[in-house]
Amino acid sequence: MTNSPVLKVENLQTRFKSVQRGKFIHAVDDVSIELYPGEIVGLVGESGCGKSTLGRTIVGLEKASAGRVLLDGVDLSTLSGAALRKSRRALQYVFQDPYSCLNDRQTVGEAIDEALLIDGRSSQDERDRRTKELLDQVGLANAVKDRHTRELSGGQRQRVAIARSLAVNPRVLICDEPVSALDLSIRAQVMNLFLRLQKDLGVACLFIAHDLALVRQAASRVYVMYLGKIVEQGPSQELYDHPSHPYSQMLLASVPEVDPRVEKLRNGPLLVGEVPSPTNPPSGCRFRTRCPLAVESCSRKMPAAHGLSFGHSAACLFAPELHEGRRSALH
Amino acid sequence: MNMLNPILARLNKMPRAALITIGLFVALGTFAPWLAPQDPSTQNLLEAGLGPSAAHWLGTDHLGRDTFSRLIIAANTSLVSVGSVLGIAMTIGILLGTIAGYHRGWVDDVLMRVVDVGLSVPSLIISLAVIGIVGPGYWTMVLALALAWWPMSGRISRAVAVSIMSKPHIEALRVLGASPWRIYFCHLLPGTIGSVMVYATADAGTAALAVATLSFLGLGIQPPTPEWGQMLVDALPYLESDPRQVLLPGLALTAAVIGFNTLGESIALNRVPKPLTRRMLAARRAEVASWSKENSDA
Repeated sequence: MTNSPVLKVENLQTRFKSVQRGKFIHAVDDVSIELYPGEIVGLVGESGCGKSTLGRTIVGLEKASAGRVLLDGVDLSTLSGAALRKSRRALQYVFQDPYSCLNDRQTVGEAIDEALLIDGRSSQDERDRRTKELLDQVGLANAVKDRHTRELSGGQRQRVAIARSLAVNPRVLICDEPVSALDLSIRAQVMNLFLRLQKDLGVACLFIAHDLALVRQAASRVYVMYLGKIVEQGPSQELYDHPSHPYSQMLLASVPEVDPRVEKLRNGPLLVGEVPSPTNPPSGCRFRTRCPLAVESCSRKMPAAHGLSFGHSAACLFAPELHEGRRSALH
Repeated sequence: MNMLNPILARLNKMPRAALITIGLFVALGTFAPWLAPQDPSTQNLLEAGLGPSAAHWLGTDHLGRDTFSRLIIAANTSLVSVGSVLGIAMTIGILLGTIAGYHRGWVDDVLMRVVDVGLSVPSLIISLAVIGIVGPGYWTMVLALALAWWPMSGRISRAVAVSIMSKPHIEALRVLGASPWRIYFCHLLPGTIGSVMVYATADAGTAALAVATLSFLGLGIQPPTPEWGQMLVDALPYLESDPRQVLLPGLALTAAVIGFNTLGESIALNRVPKPLTRRMLAARRAEVASWSKENSDA
């Protein structure tokens, strides 16, 4: 953790042309994040807040309109063509949908073999050996390699997808809700496999999810995103215990409890309404339209991130009070 | 033999009558020069317009040529011209369609406007115009029809290519750092060809009809090469006195067209998955379970 970040995202901005003429959808707006080697970082937020777009922009599936992505200190925007493809290979992406991220026409072996071939391994023997090794790592029998990917179950396909991503020896994995399309029982299996592999291989991982419990279990640090901006970040234990942005508090309070007795006691402000349109985001703090604590000055400018404790900061005027749990004092 | 099994299983699902008709058509067309019992161009005016006999199984035409041999050779003519028309049209169409679908943006816009222009004029009129300019002839007809045909396959390939390009597995390749060439030639092109070929089968009937139509009008295949459309027009003056001469090539053409259409339709329908029976599901589940190693995630 003391060394330099393997992935550094600086003031990244992604915007799409809106159907309204001359307007833009600010999907990701001025986001900076860092990933250190070997750590899992969670990225949470509601649907439509730009989590996936951020991940896609980092790996280059969407075009950034501003900002930089630095991989091992190298600015990817200065590269192009084959050099860019080669550098970017260290950044891999695990898709949410295991059904469409593999080519139905290929067998498992062909899919992984292709990744190895793209990575520039020309010897067929070496590729075969590596394919066997990768399948073994993700817990699939070697016989599966002659199967078409369409014949596999969702969990098996996600394992193949993970194996394919690992084939190019990535330094950073960006996982876009990798298990949310799977059954609950399979989800735990794949998640455990994933955590074990991540530990064994020491790959840094940005884990995008809306399942807060999963992120808490997996990630050492968490970023909370709202409407294209990071509103709070911090070590996951600290952030889950002392959420200091009203949005994080509401997001955590909205998770239902399994035990009905605990569920009855669950209180705290619940999120109401929908995320405002990113085409025309609210002025100042983006959350103010849904925030119970919003005051007049919230609409003037985006509050700066308040440092609260080591590595923990929240972009809210009242962050220090919220961090100390003096929420009631604000009313 | 094991290699053939999946192919046989697939063939078994198709309508047998259409399959046999098209199989016969292709076989006759391919081996026509060896199969035809007599020279299709030998005239014998003494035997003109005769009905079926031991010497001429399906009789003779108004010039005393053996109708059976002419029908068989005509199958060859038809097969070759339909094959060339579709081959050329599909190549142009798939190439331009996939380029448009791959690039999108202005390349897509320009190519699709060209396709729109091509589609807005009826294909037979384009062919007639081209033949009118260049003059009738075998290869002129093939080129003219191909020119009229490609916008359709271009439009279809573009749609297929766009849908393939938007699939996450192409994005996954991008993330892996695959070169544009690899994405285009290893994934986009084979996928598009597979889907567009289905339309080609259904189109073959229409193409056969167009070839016959142009030949009927005297703009396509020139005498003495036997061709069904041309045999029809030759026999037309004898329609009342000897309908056999018109009926035989007409039936052959009808069978080929209906065969191709039925076959194309069944191929398209076979691509829709059928509901599984319980036994198939159980067998499947047992097999799938065996692929995962036990307790690999503990």
